Amino acid sequence: MVQPVWGEWWPMQDGQPTGWKRRDFMGAAALVALALGLPTAAVAFTELDEKDAPTSHQRTLMKEVSQLVIPRSATPGAGEVGAGDFAILVLAHGLENSRKPVKDTAAYARFLRNDGSVRHVAWLERELDLRAGGDFLGADATRRAALLGALDAEAFASRASESPWKAIKALIVTGYYTSEPGGSEELRYEPVPGRFDPDLPLKPGDRAISNDWTAVDFG
Amino acid sequence: MQFDAIVVGSGITGGWAAKELTQAGLKVLMIERGREIVHGEYETELKAPWEMPFRGVGDAALYAREYQVQSQNRHFNEYTQGHFVNDKDNPYTTAPGSEFNWLRSYQLGGRSLTWGRQTYRWSDYDFGANKRDGNGTDWPIRYADLAPWYDKVEEFIGVSGAAEGLPQLPDGKFQPPMALNVVEQHVRKEIAGKFGRCMTIGRTANMTVAKPEEGRAECQNRSICARGCSFGAYFSTQSSTLPAAKATGNLTVVTDAVVEKLDYDPKTNRVTGVRYINTKDGSRGAATARLVFLNASAFNSVHLMLNSRNDAMPRGLANSSGVLGTQIMDHPSTLSTIALFPQFNDRTTFGNRPTGVVVARYRNMDAMDGVGHSRGYSFQGGALQSNWGAGKREAGIGTALKDKLHSPGMWRMVLVAFADCVPRDSNRLTLDAAKTDRFGIPQLQIQFAFGKEEQAALAQAKADAAEMLTSAGGTVIMGMDQPGTGGMAIHEMGGARMGHDPKTSVLNKWSQAHDVPNLFVTDGAQMASSACQNPSLTYMALTARACDAAVKMLREGKI
Ligand SMILES: Cc1cc2nc3c(=O)[nH]c(=O)nc-3n(C[C@H](O)[C@H](O)[C@H](O)COP(=O)(O)OP(=O)(O)OC[C@H]3O[C@@H](n4cnc5c(N)ncnc54)[C@H](O)[C@@H]3O)c2cc1C
Repeated sequence: MVQPVWGEWWPMQDGQPTGWKRRDFMGAAALVALALGLPTAAVAFTELDEKDAPTSHQRTLMKEVSQLVIPRSATPGAGEVGAGDFAILVLAHGLENSRKPVKDTAAYARFLRNDGSVRHVAWLERELDLRAGGDFLGADATRRAALLGALDAEAFASRASESPWKAIKALIVTGYYTSEPGGSEELRYEPVPGRFDPDLPLKPGDRAISNDWTAVDFG
Repeated sequence: MQFDAIVVGSGITGGWAAKELTQAGLKVLMIERGREIVHGEYETELKAPWEMPFRGVGDAALYAREYQVQSQNRHFNEYTQGHFVNDKDNPYTTAPGSEFNWLRSYQLGGRSLTWGRQTYRWSDYDFGANKRDGNGTDWPIRYADLAPWYDKVEEFIGVSGAAEGLPQLPDGKFQPPMALNVVEQHVRKEIAGKFGRCMTIGRTANMTVAKPEEGRAECQNRSICARGCSFGAYFSTQSSTLPAAKATGNLTVVTDAVVEKLDYDPKTNRVTGVRYINTKDGSRGAATARLVFLNASAFNSVHLMLNSRNDAMPRGLANSSGVLGTQIMDHPSTLSTIALFPQFNDRTTFGNRPTGVVVARYRNMDAMDGVGHSRGYSFQGGALQSNWGAGKREAGIGTALKDKLHSPGMWRMVLVAFADCVPRDSNRLTLDAAKTDRFGIPQLQIQFAFGKEEQAALAQAKADAAEMLTSAGGTVIMGMDQPGTGGMAIHEMGGARMGHDPKTSVLNKWSQAHDVPNLFVTDGAQMASSACQNPSLTYMALTARACDAAVKMLREGKI
């Protein structure tokens, strides 16, 4: 899905999801936050339907998967900075069209919500276990990376694929580069550039600017 | 409350009306339905993504429930959501078979806080368009009538841009232009050489030179304008017209007060003032004045006139012609092309320039070379280098992905077409017969569709855009030729058009109602055609011109 450019807007090819059931967002919020023992300042799993509240296994899995997507180098990896929890929260809230009904309902039958959307995290948990032929988290690091790499390659091989992985990955990436370590250590954060230089040499290894919002939306 | 003039709305045009009328010595009430927003107190302006509950991207669940329309536009995000209306609380209806996304900001400053700041003069190709192809009714003014007012507005608001000497996109009183980046410089040269077309830096109400006397600094190249800018570097009511109007001592501002209708006295044939509802406690109030300026934004001003129907004017205020509400427009717009320019991958930029570029119109000027349409289109867009956002859409995980996203990525150029919208009677506003809002005011109903002319223009634009970027050495990866839903250009206008003839138009050449001499409508409602340029500069120039005319008429005892 492409969106932006400067100054003006343009049409989204894909609107936000419709058909939400209000019930899906009522209750359970405080309960869930409490059960997870989350500091309120961090990720708030507020207003989540109980069924969307992650199990501790799912949180561990999403942390590990995030770390596989963006591992530690000189800077922290995505799992370490909480991108997994961020993805869990915003997947349930519907970012990246994650609350849109899927077309292939048969393929995702066991993970469907009433609104026809997929419970992404539950799907991923089972999908990775299937591919691992057992507990994905129990496999060694090299194997985990290989299994996830294969899943990723398949999902992105075709534009038409509606693999839930696309949204999960997008939100892990978003979670990482909008975190302080991802946005300001791994990349440069320049809140007040103060000038515009239109043509500079780019050398290998130069850091990109995390808050170039036009590029974020459109790149 | 008794005033010389009441200005309804505090957005781009209301701010101008308040400034001009107070500076002329009139005691003015500016009345605004939304909340007060104080310049410099922009809540999210300085926040980093990690300081936002949803990292700046926002709560999609909330948006699906309460901001279904507003969240469709890309300026809407967690930082700016407080600068757009809540759709649930501010309903409107669409006629069966119609779709229209009405994007609004109800607050002190209106959409002056959220606008994209693109600032273009219209030309006589535009003011002469209806006369030439017979759609709509002829404008009663031409470029020469407006040129001095364009000068005045540009100088005051601060517009940066490059003079190009084009008749179809007249030069203005510009501050020094922002720079084209390395790819845009190349493409500009190629397009000029191969097609004789002009691609120039966006003319934008972001200042490159400070105005210390007005407390406004130059642009800091953050490109987060719609959060509000405490540098005052872009034009908004808050940064510019409001302080000027306040400085006269003649301005009274009332916020959180929605005007429900205008009062009309059939004996004098004058509007006498406005009735309003306090949005916080539901209480009602009224104010009177010798002049009323409607600046509530095009559709809201028409809505007010329709809702001010009375025994003497049962079809709506100042609607003896019966055309009030008809011929509304919005620019059909689409992403015409994206092309890759990897040959520049060893170059980069620094800073978030808050404007893109524009390719001036070139079709249907002196030769009628449009295929299936008789008006113009123009492109806005620019070249940019991808960054981590690309990682969301591509295969790859692990160190390879992290390394790739570490540095700026592939250069690409984007061209978005904006085309003329033909004025049609079938595109119109009415009062919904059944539904009311929380104040009991009838909801506005919008009936709107683009026609074959708009489709044809965007089809030609797509082909042209691909041709231009290919010949400049780019590799086209996609393009579209279908307009987005009506309203998505956020240039909704018309409904109370200006014209020579009181039988076929609502307003005369001074933006003054033919039927009611002390009523002026100076926002987008007055537009008789749409051009393909962004319209707000023209609204501002028409507002300043109408204020001058109104004050003269008042002094001469004519109204
Ligand atoms: C994201 C975005 C990008 C845009 N980009 C550009 C651009 O680049 N260039 C361009 O030319 N235009 C652009 N526009 C359009 C531009 O914002 C509008 O054309 C302009 O603001 C219209 O000015 P206005 O004064 O008529 O209305 P507004 O600025 O919308 O102000 C109207 C005011 O009236 C108030 N009001 C409405 N009804 C009532 C009532 N009944 N009682 C009391 N108050 C009322 C509203 O609350 C509001 O404050 C953009 C708009 C948006 C949202």
